[in-house]
Amino acid sequence: MASIAVDRILLRSVCLLKNINRLSLCRSAVIGQFDHRLIHAITRTPVFSQNLLDLEVKEVRHYSSEAPLTINFIEDRVLLVLKLYDKIDNAKLTLKSHFITDCGLDSLDHVEIIMAIEDEFGFEIPDTDAERLLTPSNIVEYIANKKDVYS
Amino acid sequence: MSQKSKTINLYKTLLYMGKDYPKGYDYFRVRLKKVFEKNRYETDTEKIEKMIAHGNFVIKELEALYMLKKYRTLKKRYYE
Repeated sequence: MASIAVDRILLRSVCLLKNINRLSLCRSAVIGQFDHRLIHAITRTPVFSQNLLDLEVKEVRHYSSEAPLTINFIEDRVLLVLKLYDKIDNAKLTLKSHFITDCGLDSLDHVEIIMAIEDEFGFEIPDTDAERLLTPSNIVEYIANKKDVYS
Repeated sequence: MSQKSKTINLYKTLLYMGKDYPKGYDYFRVRLKKVFEKNRYETDTEKIEKMIAHGNFVIKELEALYMLKKYRTLKKRYYE
């Protein structure tokens, strides 16, 4: 009798053990998932917090995106476009020279210049705005405003 | 829209249209400039209005020219 009772207890405990094993397996699986997520979170957070610490926006530039514009770069490009235009005297041209009074152009030439600038920077300048762009520095300022360039 | 801005708009549109002119953009540009400069001292508003209308007619003609050019090119490729 005693031996049978011991057997039963043993059996039961084995069953219990199995159950416990199963449970623990399940738990470890769940924990495994959690770990995975945690790992992701851990790998993500430092970059973020570092950026916060630096307190500056780091620009991520993709292969397809164009180079970031600066005021100096815009100035160079505008002057280059104007120099390539055949009716402007290159020696006289500065950022402050007025197209019509200093460079001796008429309003039709001015339209052609605006078109060349449109082609260079890839956006359209409405006629009402174009009327006011009478010096190279005006054009630079206008483009910088349109493209949100402030440095 | 004032007549000045109308004229400038017309000039701009014509320049755009002339970019694919069969004889070349420069040829077109020089001629266009000459035509506009010929009438630069015109002050009669009615005459100017007529000229602008004529300019718009030229735009339509240019469109037709490009259609014809395209048609001829395609035809040539099929039958020659």
